[in-house]
Amino acid sequence: MKVIILIFVILSGGLLIYGTMDMPAWGDPNSPANTYVSPLYIEEAYSKTETPNIVSAVLADYRGYDTMGETTVIFTAALICALLLRKNSDDDEA
Amino acid sequence: MNGMTQQFPALIIVIPLLAALLTPLLGTLTRRLCHPWLVLIIGCAFCMSLGIAAQVITSGPISYNMGGWEPPWGIAYRIDHLNALMLVLISGTGLLGALYSGPSFAKELPGRQTYASALYLLMITSLMGIVITGDLFNVFVFLEISSLSAYGLIACGSGDAPFATFRYIIMGTIGASCYLLGVGYLYISTGSLNLADLSRLLPQLYHSHVVLTAGALMLVGLSLKMALFPLHAWLPDAYYSAPSTVSATVAPLYTKVAGYLMIRIIYYLFERRFFVEVFPITTILSWAAVVALLIGSIYAIAQKDLKKMLCYSVIAQVGYIVLGIALVNKAGFSSAILTIVSEVCTKSCIFLATGAIIYRLGNSRIDNLRHLFRRMPYTMLAFTIGAFSMVGIPPTSGFFSKLYLLFGCLEAGNWVFIAALLCSTILNVIYFFRVIKVACFEDPQPEYQRQEAYPAIEVEEVPAAMLIPILLAATSIIATGLGSFWIVDNFVKPLLKVVF
Amino acid sequence: MLDFIIAKYNFWIYVVLMMIGLFAMLAKRNLVKKLIGMNIFQTAIILYYVSIGVKKGKVHVPILVGAHGHGEHLFKAADYLNPLPHVLMLTAIVVSIATTGVALAVLILIYRRYNTLNEDEIIELRQAEQEAEV
Repeated sequence: MKVIILIFVILSGGLLIYGTMDMPAWGDPNSPANTYVSPLYIEEAYSKTETPNIVSAVLADYRGYDTMGETTVIFTAALICALLLRKNSDDDEA
Repeated sequence: MNGMTQQFPALIIVIPLLAALLTPLLGTLTRRLCHPWLVLIIGCAFCMSLGIAAQVITSGPISYNMGGWEPPWGIAYRIDHLNALMLVLISGTGLLGALYSGPSFAKELPGRQTYASALYLLMITSLMGIVITGDLFNVFVFLEISSLSAYGLIACGSGDAPFATFRYIIMGTIGASCYLLGVGYLYISTGSLNLADLSRLLPQLYHSHVVLTAGALMLVGLSLKMALFPLHAWLPDAYYSAPSTVSATVAPLYTKVAGYLMIRIIYYLFERRFFVEVFPITTILSWAAVVALLIGSIYAIAQKDLKKMLCYSVIAQVGYIVLGIALVNKAGFSSAILTIVSEVCTKSCIFLATGAIIYRLGNSRIDNLRHLFRRMPYTMLAFTIGAFSMVGIPPTSGFFSKLYLLFGCLEAGNWVFIAALLCSTILNVIYFFRVIKVACFEDPQPEYQRQEAYPAIEVEEVPAAMLIPILLAATSIIATGLGSFWIVDNFVKPLLKVVF
Repeated sequence: MLDFIIAKYNFWIYVVLMMIGLFAMLAKRNLVKKLIGMNIFQTAIILYYVSIGVKKGKVHVPILVGAHGHGEHLFKAADYLNPLPHVLMLTAIVVSIATTGVALAVLILIYRRYNTLNEDEIIELRQAEQEAEV
């Protein structure tokens, strides 16, 4: 069984490496990811959001909706732990 | 008021999210209020989704920029007919489940209704979040909220629910991570995360290895999430051991939302010709789907337990949806959407009815169902309507979706698919009519063993809060069946114009 | 050839890391080890994303230098790292932590029920239970 899994894992690793062949070189400042959307964040973040930390500006403002989802994820995990691990307390209804 | 309707796309997510935050607080005050609160909030979301759908039908797709940031820099919604339809389906099923959850949670999760209600609300909200957004990373965030809440709700079920959940967590995380990695591959080759923006940028890159791998990764990730054969093994145990309300919303919605994402990726993110000319992964998908609908039905026949049988039939139905998507022709595309609609109604009805049976009988072994038609006539009537829809008997919605799928297969000219379709319909007949036969015609004891006359059979219907959603779901099966031409005219045809 | 390796090795390392995680998730029989594999798997993706945002040369971390006090200051995109992958990964890290937390809670439930975390033993116990029912 382990051998089959190993072969499967190596094959999928091979697929991923095949995908990297066409990728822009690591650290290339002219790659699409570094030239298409993100420059505007760097140029505009301070004038639009008054925040020198660009990561914070994007996190809390441009993509603030994602961050709301992120906090919800934490809330969900907390609820689940309470649901699963708390002792059933039927008598806490005042 | 007009300004209010313009904010519906944001409010439909934000209101239930805030309400979910307040639910534990409300629960500590009085637990009795949780159920009406849940119904109220999801009812609001349902009304808003109807408003959005009406707006989309009359005046075309809606664009909404979150926080006023222009796409692709901010997160933008673009709600077209498909989003609107999915929103109505999710909030509608959510509403039925919310009504049902009152007595069901009280019996299955005594003392834990508050947290379960809050998680339930989060689950419905995040599913709506997935189908409403136009940003690929935002989809991932909501996908994870929805998966997490499903893990939590399933794990608190009976029997070996935790172990089944752990397997689900492992598989679900691999699926979501594959999707995330696919998004990363697209990001490195384009620099954008917005769906509409990417579909504009990608055609020049169709021959790049990165984009090819990205497509494959995202589709594999979603296949895991929707339990497409051969990645289905986690599903039956997890759905089987979940509490009734949870399986009645998770089973209809999760696989279909993943199906929706698959439609988005195959038809919107990439163009159809990418799969026809460059990268024939749809062929693989369609064969996997055909095997899924046969294997799922065969396994379903082998089950001795009603709920387990239905879990396997979920796997079979995933096959129908994926087959429709992967045929890549007009009829196939229409059938995929109609199957999603009909499946959401049907599975919701059947799982709700099964939950009611478990509520009364304590288990769902098929042998125990004898005489159920007299004891629970309305529940079993709804179950029968659901079974008719699964088999595809007119005028239920299952008939029309299968009809379109048949046209799709004919258009593709693939006789193996048609044979498989007919075969699986026959298998459906076998396993559903076995249940109906036991419940309707078999006596609790054979006549020759019976010593004395029967005790009178009492009607033991479930409480109204459970019966009403069951009957509503059964009505929706008939309504979507009779109204399927209306759905095709108002939702599918505008989509076909864009895609084909 | 060497240039090619230098340009790509970063991506290959994350693939190797990811496959280690995947192997652990699928092949290990202890559920906690599976969970650790899952963490490695998710961390590999985080590393991949972060390495998208790298720009070689003389660049700053994405915190604007001398922003305060200069009313109209022009910032050049080439001087700073790409901030977007960092933002995305902050979210992904939180997601992975939450998933781990939930999985650990579920593991506690499993341990309470079966008194073991070995998958093979749990499967045996389950089968014994099912037979006892019939």
